[in-house]
Amino acid sequence: MKMQFAQICDLVETESIRERDIDRGALVGNWINSNPDTRSITRVNVFEADGKLQLQAFAVGPGGPIDWGTTTAGVFAAGPASRAGAGFAATFDLGFAEVRLQAMIMKGLLVLAQFHLLKDDSGRASYFMREYYAKTHDLF
Amino acid sequence: MTTNADKLLGRWLNTNHETRGIAECTVARDDDGINVSVAGVGEDGPIQWPAARATLLENVEEEAGQRTNVLLATFDLGFMRAETHMRINKGVFVIVLFATFLDGSGRANYLNREFFYRQP
Repeated sequence: MKMQFAQICDLVETESIRERDIDRGALVGNWINSNPDTRSITRVNVFEADGKLQLQAFAVGPGGPIDWGTTTAGVFAAGPASRAGAGFAATFDLGFAEVRLQAMIMKGLLVLAQFHLLKDDSGRASYFMREYYAKTHDLF
Repeated sequence: MTTNADKLLGRWLNTNHETRGIAECTVARDDDGINVSVAGVGEDGPIQWPAARATLLENVEEEAGQRTNVLLATFDLGFMRAETHMRINKGVFVIVLFATFLDGSGRANYLNREFFYRQP
């Protein structure tokens, strides 16, 4: 059967690459917002459990961080024949809002696109944010 | 009066003439909202994707001193789902694409980012 594609970069012959075959090394870690004055997600913990990429997010609250809990993230490679993890996508359902995240690694930073889709009747508009996160690590 | 959302409308061409990804994108408004059409680069010419309805979101942070909007659109190609967001930064239209293969072809799900300029 001829391989289907929507752009010619997708027309590649490759051995089967399952999600768990994609290297998550660049993604896993504790990521902190580069902006100390952020009013949104301040920290993201990315880890693996049961072969899946997991994401725990903490947002700024009036009395300290708000733990959004943990959700499963889909892993995305750098290309259709690549095994290098380049980003992830995940959704947090907070009840009153659904927050979709699209993350990509750029020059060591995690660039996190956030789509805050309000579901309540508060009249607040849904909105977009894009913030940058650095991976914490031991001192050089 | 031109709104921030209106700045997204139009035909956008890839800045990279040698792209093997998205060749162009057209953003249009109708009575029901905003539609996005994309053409991918094919072997013998452009491949037209099924149009997608876009969700318009306000970008709460200024970029380069501009108040902007963002489009969130998912393209269902049957064998592949392409989740995208689109925004303008300093006049450049940016498409970030997260592609998920649904056809069991063994290809890796992947992400890509490409840049577009407004058709003169």
